[in-house]
Amino acid sequence: MAPLEPWEKVLVDGEAFPKTDHGELTCIECHLGTNVSDKAIAHEGMVVSPSAQPEIYCAECHEEETAAYPNSLHNTQAGYWTAINTRNTVEGAVPQGHEQLQEMFGNHCATCHTTCGECHVSQPENVGGGLFTGHVFETTPPMTRSCTACHGSRVGNEFLGKNEGYPGDVHFREARMNCVKCHEGADLHGMTEETASAEHRLNGAEDPTCIDCHEEVAAGDGIDMHERHGDTLSCQVCHSVTYTSCDGCHVAVSETSGNPFFETESTYMTFLIGRNPIQSEDRPYEYVPVRHIPSSPTSYEFYGDDLLPNFDALSTWVYATPHNIQRYTPQNASCEACHSNPDIFLTSDKVKAEELTANALVIVDVLPAPVDMILAAMPQPAEHSELVSNSCTACHTEGIRETPISPESHFGFLNESCSGCHKLP
Amino acid sequence: MNKKGFLGYLVVLGIFFLSSCAPAKTESPLATEETVVTESVATSAPEAGECLACHTDKQRLIDTAEPVVEAAESESKGVG
Repeated sequence: MAPLEPWEKVLVDGEAFPKTDHGELTCIECHLGTNVSDKAIAHEGMVVSPSAQPEIYCAECHEEETAAYPNSLHNTQAGYWTAINTRNTVEGAVPQGHEQLQEMFGNHCATCHTTCGECHVSQPENVGGGLFTGHVFETTPPMTRSCTACHGSRVGNEFLGKNEGYPGDVHFREARMNCVKCHEGADLHGMTEETASAEHRLNGAEDPTCIDCHEEVAAGDGIDMHERHGDTLSCQVCHSVTYTSCDGCHVAVSETSGNPFFETESTYMTFLIGRNPIQSEDRPYEYVPVRHIPSSPTSYEFYGDDLLPNFDALSTWVYATPHNIQRYTPQNASCEACHSNPDIFLTSDKVKAEELTANALVIVDVLPAPVDMILAAMPQPAEHSELVSNSCTACHTEGIRETPISPESHFGFLNESCSGCHKLP
Repeated sequence: MNKKGFLGYLVVLGIFFLSSCAPAKTESPLATEETVVTESVATSAPEAGECLACHTDKQRLIDTAEPVVEAAESESKGVG
């Protein structure tokens, strides 16, 4: 997005704006200042961003949105603090360095906080600000000047197809859908159960979900892979393509300018399937695509020593929802494209040695068995349906009660994997 | 009633209606309110005018713009 010239940022459309609802108000009603032609006097006491105080300037007309918004992630940025606090807090110990972390947050993270106006009338300050369309308020934020202006380096580039060699999201390419087609206003304003007071963006039930629109998949569309893997793989495992990962972000304040800055060590393209680190009733998938985030134990070392003493409490390969959905992908081309393809799984050899502990829950220890092996697997005896225990290995490792002993190729398989191949008749 | 008489009746009736409206407009409190409304419009019009006069004038905004300060992002490296 090209930066706007200073005059462009504040140029009002004298034809269009006065005809809008907001144009019925005088400028001074929202921006204060004085009605004179001298710029300095006119701007004295001016409120540049009235919607930074929505309870004063927005609530009278937009009561529900204003009431909910203080708790929305766009306002609280709680996702950052959830991660920072988890890594800062060692169980049983008093958290240290919170003041330094707050200073760091204020310098580097808080600028992403969004006001009503930064989505509905101007570009976010974080990306330079400036009115969208001559001060005309937009019910739907313009995607590239608002949503992907902030969410650009990962989601925006994926969705719009800006990663060289990788197609944009089918919903954009084929249907020209914008962000709010899926991420509705109520979600963005924190007005739904899932988004009100969320601690991070993956809180609670998936919202939106793919089956909100693709209802036929949930109802049973006859596609074999949906039947077999619908509960165990997130949709993106089969339908997203290669996406961005980053390493080693460090933040500091410049000695020369006094301005905060960041530096990331590297950015690279990945497509890796990992175990779901936040598996729950809401997100039951065993496997999800995982993206490497640029957090490092020393990310905030400019502000103090050992500010993230419990760094390993969270993985650095995280649950990802790449926004580059395709109907056909390399991994869903055939069963073997996934089942016999170690390259697309986050195995321990792909994880840095110092991050193995943090990613223990995510690393895939045992790759999906080859399809031939699955098809040749003997079915379970019918009487197994009456077994109280579902611990296959309890009997089949030692051969208890004369049961067949698992072959060497099965070592490392988890109990819950067995019935994937050995079905009940 | 002949035609002339009927026309005369209509004229008298019309004068009556007109005369019954006219004094009320001058003497009722509404007349004062109308004046106030006129004054209020007169006050708010230049209010909008001064702000909009400048902010809808591209050349004036260019002429009065503050010098551009170098953005801090230039010191950052890599993808944010």
